Amino acid sequence: MGQAYITNLRVGPATFRIASDWQKPIAQLNSLYENYPKPDSEFADFTVRLESQSVWRKYFRPTVHISGDFWLPDAAPLPLSQGLLAAEMAMNLQMALGWRRHLLLHASTVEKDGKALLMTGLSGSGKSTLSAMLGEKGWRFMGDEFALICPQTGLAYSFPRLISLKNEAITTMERIMPEDRFGPLLEDTPKGRIRHLVPSLESLEASNVPAKPAMLIFPRFGYDKAVREIGKSEIFVRLTQASTNYVALGEAGFRALTSFVDNVPARAIDYQSGDEAEILIDQLWAELA
Amino acid sequence: MSQQFKAANPEEIVLHMLDMMSLVFHRPSGLTHIVADPIPAILEVMQQEVSTPAQIAEALENNFDLEEGVDVENVVLARLDEMNALGLVERISE
Repeated sequence: MGQAYITNLRVGPATFRIASDWQKPIAQLNSLYENYPKPDSEFADFTVRLESQSVWRKYFRPTVHISGDFWLPDAAPLPLSQGLLAAEMAMNLQMALGWRRHLLLHASTVEKDGKALLMTGLSGSGKSTLSAMLGEKGWRFMGDEFALICPQTGLAYSFPRLISLKNEAITTMERIMPEDRFGPLLEDTPKGRIRHLVPSLESLEASNVPAKPAMLIFPRFGYDKAVREIGKSEIFVRLTQASTNYVALGEAGFRALTSFVDNVPARAIDYQSGDEAEILIDQLWAELA
Repeated sequence: MSQQFKAANPEEIVLHMLDMMSLVFHRPSGLTHIVADPIPAILEVMQQEVSTPAQIAEALENNFDLEEGVDVENVVLARLDEMNALGLVERISE
């Protein structure tokens, strides 16, 4: 059964075909992805479908069901007003479950002088906000969700999807960014308030340019300022937990991750504000990268 | 009656040292094991010979500085049982 509204998007190396029963989420995607490089062909890596439960529910209290090449059986439907979020979640899910060309690390990434800084941590650690902030302060934003590590070269590739700002981070970024870089404010989502931010044009235009991983940070927001060294075995374990496809890649994943752990200096940092984190990161970058 | 063990074929495992821990990637299962001493040392001294825990304990004592007063053979046997469960060594029936 075909959907009425379709768009094809490209984020970094991945292409998506998004099909929807409703026009609105597609229009929002087309607007927010306007400056992204276009897919080279109509054949997409992944298909995502935003579907109604029934023809009746397409109009009456409509809720969006996500489906596609890869999906989770217990994914709850979202109200149509959050259709954009449903599309973004579904695209992430395709990458997390289906991408095999790179080792996927759940990490945000920014680049400077051809070298990449990766930040990984639990939800709420601030990695997404930090990458968005640094992306406006002299770094190239490469992604706030997935770092793609090439198993052959060890280089990090960009996945600059829309930056998903949550709760307080929305206000922080609204203070420094022009209004036309933001998507609609989505209230009462499963993760609270969400507002998407379009990465800078420079970041989108360079989205095919890889960078050599030069530093890994485990940020933690809301604690007194601190920097800690971490042993390689702890880094390895944390990164296997942060990877969605380490097991699926088999020995290629093992070799890519051990090489990463051996070659990329890492620190854990605690911080109370974005400014404090930026100072810490600049100091560590000068020292280690 | 002494038990005998043989290490997995070296082509089946990839050993990678990190810090106090090491990684063993087991090709047949695709699993990564995180192991501590003395497991890497046991794999090193076993090579491809069929060995008893006593022979392995002796080789460890000859090649490494071990803590005094430890029943090395019993420690080795306990580790061999665990390694057998992971597929890193094979128990040879007599």
